[in-house]
Amino acid sequence: MRRRIVTILVVLVLLSTMVMGFGAGCGLKYTKNVLKVGVAGPMQFIMGRHHWLGAQMAADEINKAGGVLIDGKKYRIDLVQIDTNELLSIDDAAAAIERAISVDKVNVLVGSIRTEAALVMQEIAMDNQTIFIVCGASHTALSVKVGADYERYKYWFRVTPINVGNLVKTSMILLNQVGATVRAQLGIAKPKVAVIIEKAVAGDPLAAAAQALIPTFGMEFVGLWRPSPNATDVTAELTAIRDSGANIIYTYFSGPAGVPYAKQWGELQIPAASVGINVEAQAKGFMQATNNMGNWEYTLNTMARVKITEKTIPYYDAFVERTGGLEFPTYNAGTYDAIYIWKEAIERANSIDPDAIVVEMEKTDFISSAGRIVFDTMHDVKWGPGFVTAVGTQWQDGELVACWPIDFYGVTYEGTVPYKLPPWMVPGG
Amino acid sequence: MTVVRYLNWLWREFKGEILVLPGRSILFFGAVALLALPLVFRHPYALRILTMASIFAIFAASWDLISGVVGQLSLGHAIFFGTAAYTSALLNLNAGLPPVVTIPLGALAAVVAGLAVGIPCLRLKGQYLSLATLAFPIILAGLVMVFSSVTGGELGVSGVTRLAPTRLKEYYVAVVAAIVLILAVWKITDSKVGIIFHAIREDEVAARASGINTPLYKVLAFCLSGLFAGLAGGLYAHYMRIAGPSTLSVLTSFQPIIWVIFGGIATIYGAVVGVFVLFPLVEVLRVAPELRMLLYAASIVLVLRFMPEGLAPWVIDRLERKCPRCKEHNAFTRRACRVCGTALRVPQEKGVPSGG
Repeated sequence: MRRRIVTILVVLVLLSTMVMGFGAGCGLKYTKNVLKVGVAGPMQFIMGRHHWLGAQMAADEINKAGGVLIDGKKYRIDLVQIDTNELLSIDDAAAAIERAISVDKVNVLVGSIRTEAALVMQEIAMDNQTIFIVCGASHTALSVKVGADYERYKYWFRVTPINVGNLVKTSMILLNQVGATVRAQLGIAKPKVAVIIEKAVAGDPLAAAAQALIPTFGMEFVGLWRPSPNATDVTAELTAIRDSGANIIYTYFSGPAGVPYAKQWGELQIPAASVGINVEAQAKGFMQATNNMGNWEYTLNTMARVKITEKTIPYYDAFVERTGGLEFPTYNAGTYDAIYIWKEAIERANSIDPDAIVVEMEKTDFISSAGRIVFDTMHDVKWGPGFVTAVGTQWQDGELVACWPIDFYGVTYEGTVPYKLPPWMVPGG
Repeated sequence: MTVVRYLNWLWREFKGEILVLPGRSILFFGAVALLALPLVFRHPYALRILTMASIFAIFAASWDLISGVVGQLSLGHAIFFGTAAYTSALLNLNAGLPPVVTIPLGALAAVVAGLAVGIPCLRLKGQYLSLATLAFPIILAGLVMVFSSVTGGELGVSGVTRLAPTRLKEYYVAVVAAIVLILAVWKITDSKVGIIFHAIREDEVAARASGINTPLYKVLAFCLSGLFAGLAGGLYAHYMRIAGPSTLSVLTSFQPIIWVIFGGIATIYGAVVGVFVLFPLVEVLRVAPELRMLLYAASIVLVLRFMPEGLAPWVIDRLERKCPRCKEHNAFTRRACRVCGTALRVPQEKGVPSGG
C-alpha cells in the first residue's frame, strides 16, 4: 500500500513539475526598459563558460555606465543563459534557442561553438528575425548563406573567430615565420616539414592545403600523420616524425589530443619546432596539463596579453581576475565585444527594431579587444592588417607570450617578443 | 440513410474498441488533444517540443518493434535514422526533390540498411547481436567522414527544405505522421505476423520447430523497423533542415532505448508514453541547468524503481484487468469480462476473512 502511495506521489510530482515548468515557461512577458541578451553555448564546458563570462563583463560594464540609450531612455541589459548542450545534442540546441526566442523573448543571441548546431540555430534565429552574433563557430558554411539569401540571413553576424579559411591562412604565416627562423638559426636552406593533424573532418582540407602549399614555401613536405582527436598517446607518430628528419611539425589539434601531443613532444625532445593550431595550448592550464613539458609549443590564438588595441590588456586582466586567476580568455569570450557592437548599433539606430539594427551593424567599425572589427559583405569579421589578425602565441619558460605579428604589413603589437626555437634544437641551447 | 448507418457503425466500433478500455481511451483522447491543441494554444516553443516528440515517438516505436516485440536488441538503431536523414537531405539538395518524395525514398534506403544489418546478424543472438548492431552506425559515421565532399563531413548536409511552409503545418505533418505510423506499427504487432514476432521473442527454437521460417521473419522485422525509423529520420532532416553526424551517434541509438524501457517495452504504446513524458521533461528541467541531466536520470531511475515494467504498463495494470479465462483486457470498473462474461472480481462476504 505504501509503495503504491509513493509511486503515485512520484508520478504526480513529475507531471505537475512538467505542467508548471512548461506553462510558466510559455507565459513570460516583456519587462519594460530591459534588453535581453541570450548567451547561447554549452554551459557545462569551457566554451559556454567563456561565452557567459565575456557577456557578463560586457553587461556589467554597460549597465554600470547607465545602460543602452534609446530615444532618450536608458535600457538595462539582462543576460539569459542558454545551455545549448550543442556538443552532445543538436535537438537540445534547437529547442534551447526556440525557448530563448519565444519564451525568454531575447532581443539578440550571442555565442555558439559547434558549426553543425550553429547551422540549425541560425535557421531558427532567422525564422524569427532575431539577430544572432556567432562567437565560436568558424566555418564559412554559416557566412555564405548571407551572400546567398541576404534578406533571410542578414540578421546573422560573426565577431569571432576569424573564419576557418583565414585561420588556415594565418597558421601558414606562422609556419613560414618558423621556417625563416630555422633557416636563419640552423642554416637549413630547405626545412623539412611533418604535418600532424587530428583525424577530424575540419582537418581534412587543412591536410590537403598543407601538402600542396608547403613546397611553395621553399620547404619539403615529409609526411602526414592523423591521430585520433581523443588520442592519449602519440608517441608512435612523434617517433615516426623524428625518424623522417623533420625540422618543423605543422599541427592542428582542436581537442584533447593537443595535450598528450605537446607533452610527449617535449618529453622526447623531438628535434622539430612545433607550430600551427593547438587549442589546448591556448589555455592557462596547459603547462600543468603537460607536466611543464609544453614549453615552446607555438599556436595560433585569438589574443594574448599584448597591446592589440587599447582595450586588450585591461580586458585580458579583467577576465583573468574574474576567473580567479585560473583562465585566459579564449575566443568564446568574444561575446564581450559582440554585446558592445550590438549596443552601439542599437544606439546609432535609436531603435530595437532588428532591421534597423542590422543596417547599423553593417556599418560597424569597432575597436575591440581582439582588433578593429569591420564586417565584410557576408557579415563575417574582416581579417588582415588593420583589422583582426589573430596572434601567434608561444609558451616560453612557462609563460604564454605573443610572437606574431611582428612587422606584418607594418603591424606589430606592443609586447610581442621574438619566436624561439626549442633549446634542444639549437646548438649550445 | 447509408451515412447514418455508417456513422452508427463508426460509433459502435469506437465504443466497442476504444472506449471499452481506459488505456486505449487515454491514447485516443491524447491523440485528439494533440490534433486540437493548436486551436487553443500555438506557442512556437510548445509546438517545437511536441513536433520533435512526435518524430521521436515514431523512432522509438520502430525500436520497440525490433527489440521489444521481436526480441532482437538493437544498440545501433541510429543506422536507420541516419541513413534516411542523409538520403532525404541529399536527394532534396542535389535532385531538388520535395520532402513528400525524399522522406519515403529515405525510408527505403533505411529498409536496405535493415537488410544490410539483418542478414549478417541472423546467426547472432543475445549480447553478440546487440554488439554487432552497435557497430553499424559507427561504420556509417566513418564513411560519412571519408566521403565528406558528398556528406559534408562533420558539418553535415544543411540547407534542406522545410518540412512544411509554417511551424503550424510542420506540427500537423509530424503529429499526423506519428499517429498513422505508430498505429501501423501497433497493427503489425497485432497481426499474424505480429504473433510470429512475439513467438520468436519468446522461444525462437520452438517457433522454428513449429515450421516458422524465423530467419525470414527476423529479416522482415529489421526491414520494417528500418522503414519506420527511416520515416522518422526523413521527417527529422526536413524539420531540423540538416542531416549531420549526430543522426548516427551513439546517443541517437541509445535515446529510444531509454524512452521505450521507461515507457514500457514490447507494448508500442509504451514508446509513445516514454517519449511524450521524457522529452518535454528534459525541456522543463532547463529551470535548473546545472542539475538538469542529473534530475532527468534520477527521474528515470526513480520511476523504474517503482514501476519496473515501465510507466505505461503500470498505469494500464491499475486501469484494466485481464480476464482469468480468455485473457482479454477489461476496464477496472467491470465486474465481468466483456467478452466471455467470467467474473473479474469475487465480491467479499461479510465475516469471511480475506487472504489465507
